[in-house]
Amino acid sequence: MFTQQLVNGIVVGSIYALIALGYTLVYGILKLINFAHGEIYMIGAYVGISVLAVLGTMGITQMSLALTVVIVFLVPMVYCAAYGITLERIAYRPLRGAPRLSPLISAIGMSLFLQNYVQVAQGARDKAFPNLLELGGFTLLGAYINGLQIFILLTALGVMAALHLFIQKTRMGRAMRATSEDRTMARLVGVDVNRVIAATFAIGSALAAIAGVMVGMYYGLVNHYIGFMAGIKAFTAAVLGGIGNVAGALLGGFLLAMLESFWAGYVSAVYKDVFAFAVLVIVLIFRPQGILGGSEGSDRG
Amino acid sequence: MFRWAIRTALLWITALILAAPHANAAPMLRIGVAGPLTGDQAAFGEMLKNGALLAVAEWNAKGGVSVGGKMRKIEILWGDDRHDPREGVSIAHKFVNSGVVGVVGHFNSSVSIPASTVYAEAGVVQITPASTNPKLTEQGFKTVFRVCGRDDQQGQVAADYIVDKLGVKRVAILHDKTTYGQGLADETKRFLEAKGVKPVFYSGVIQGDKDYTPVLTAMKQKSPELVYFGGIHPEAILLVKQMRERLGIKAAFMSGDGVFVDEFFKIAGKSAEGSYLTFTPDQKKISAAQNVIKAHRARFGREVGAYTIYSYVAANMILSSIAETGSAKGAKIAAHIRGKAWKTALGKIQFNKKGDVLESPYVFWQVKGGKFVQID
Repeated sequence: MFTQQLVNGIVVGSIYALIALGYTLVYGILKLINFAHGEIYMIGAYVGISVLAVLGTMGITQMSLALTVVIVFLVPMVYCAAYGITLERIAYRPLRGAPRLSPLISAIGMSLFLQNYVQVAQGARDKAFPNLLELGGFTLLGAYINGLQIFILLTALGVMAALHLFIQKTRMGRAMRATSEDRTMARLVGVDVNRVIAATFAIGSALAAIAGVMVGMYYGLVNHYIGFMAGIKAFTAAVLGGIGNVAGALLGGFLLAMLESFWAGYVSAVYKDVFAFAVLVIVLIFRPQGILGGSEGSDRG
Repeated sequence: MFRWAIRTALLWITALILAAPHANAAPMLRIGVAGPLTGDQAAFGEMLKNGALLAVAEWNAKGGVSVGGKMRKIEILWGDDRHDPREGVSIAHKFVNSGVVGVVGHFNSSVSIPASTVYAEAGVVQITPASTNPKLTEQGFKTVFRVCGRDDQQGQVAADYIVDKLGVKRVAILHDKTTYGQGLADETKRFLEAKGVKPVFYSGVIQGDKDYTPVLTAMKQKSPELVYFGGIHPEAILLVKQMRERLGIKAAFMSGDGVFVDEFFKIAGKSAEGSYLTFTPDQKKISAAQNVIKAHRARFGREVGAYTIYSYVAANMILSSIAETGSAKGAKIAAHIRGKAWKTALGKIQFNKKGDVLESPYVFWQVKGGKFVQID
């Protein structure tokens, strides 16, 4: 039971962490909580379904599984990145100099808009995400492990490693770190801040798209409402780990999922969410900046 | 001269505006139809909607309903409660304020029960096509009816089948914490215990959640032979999929009328195969239902859903009662509905004092070869 709950938690944790990264990247640079981020993730799942349908009619699904998997992830990533950039252009950039509350309200508005827009465009019914990877399962140390779970964990870890390298090693990554530290100063030394912000939204949204497609594959069920709860949980994870901190998002995601999994398994499935948010409250009382959040989060946030 | 002309013109215009309502026929008669028209349970909302549309279209084609000697056409007011009790109550107030003569709805017991108080106070007839929680008709309201069964009946049928037919001793019970889901699960539990079978696992799950593996893992430790779920299809799909695909649990899966939607086997696929459901007998075999089934196919281009005909019957009862009594008063309509032996598209229906149907017609269905098959 213990190992099984560990496995359950790890899979959910990878998904929380991927979405939490999007919150944390944007917060790090703009000090803005992008509440529409959960909807981007939901749109990623829907695009994944459409792409699969198109690939199916083109016969590519039968031809090559590897190619299908790559396309099913890539197209929603590009699509959602475009959504993210547009979102920033329309809803946040015009409010950049405004009081902090205005972009927040704008974010909530965009979230509601996207949710309802998808409902109107795609219908309110649940959509099935076709089972793409028929991977078998095996038992290890008393836990039943499914091939898809390993796939999700490896993909998530791979993507996070790539993100880390990107932020630490590339020019754009350096510009992002600079903008996050001091936007005015970065602009003075020649960083194109608008481009950096757009890139941040694009990256965060692409990560959300990956999470969306993975959730679609894993649960087989998508509706226009999934972004709401996932968004709140990932936001909680980001705050728990220390918002604005990339490692914090990872830690927060896995920690939150583990806590939920063990609480639901050993104590009460009914009070799972109550427990998750209670932990958040307690952590914030003692460490308002989150577990890994530095002083940066608290004095400038 | 010019001023006089303007004055006359104004007078005429005013007279025309005032006369306009009288020039029209009698105002439309309004009935309310409410359920989860959008959201994750929209599949059910659509059934309620289509059934009521068919019934109203039939009456309007005949020129409407005669009230006090005047023919009046019927208009439907829609209420989307999104299976939220608060939305349901606000819709009920809206309906009452708009002067509806009767309400078809709501779908979920958790919504129907609080809304029924509003309708009862206003003396508006409410017929639910689907809310099965016993409490709805136990409140002593004269205006509330249901054309479906009750969960104590459904729970008893389920318990009998589990113990007598399947001979299962280790039963796990899950529910979604809603009035309907927990109510049904508790009724089943009560009847199981009366037969000497004490559930080995009992837990609620969070409606709208996506990952149920933690609670299913805990359940697996008790090695149940059968899992009974009280709830609606979105959760049932995830539960049965995660049982089979994530945790390799082979126990049989059983649920109630809230899961009787094609999405269940369409989305859950192989994992749903063999699942048991309690529902009413096959409507396709009722001869009286054939006209509705055909009309539905012609108008909407697809087959009727589990609750489409129930909604059709509920709407028809309200409208026939108005036509037969010649009155749009709630108390009169309610008395008429209660007193009559109805011949409906679902067969004969008669109500008891509480507003429940006299006979409980729950039977067992199973998912076989990717569709629902009646098995007894």
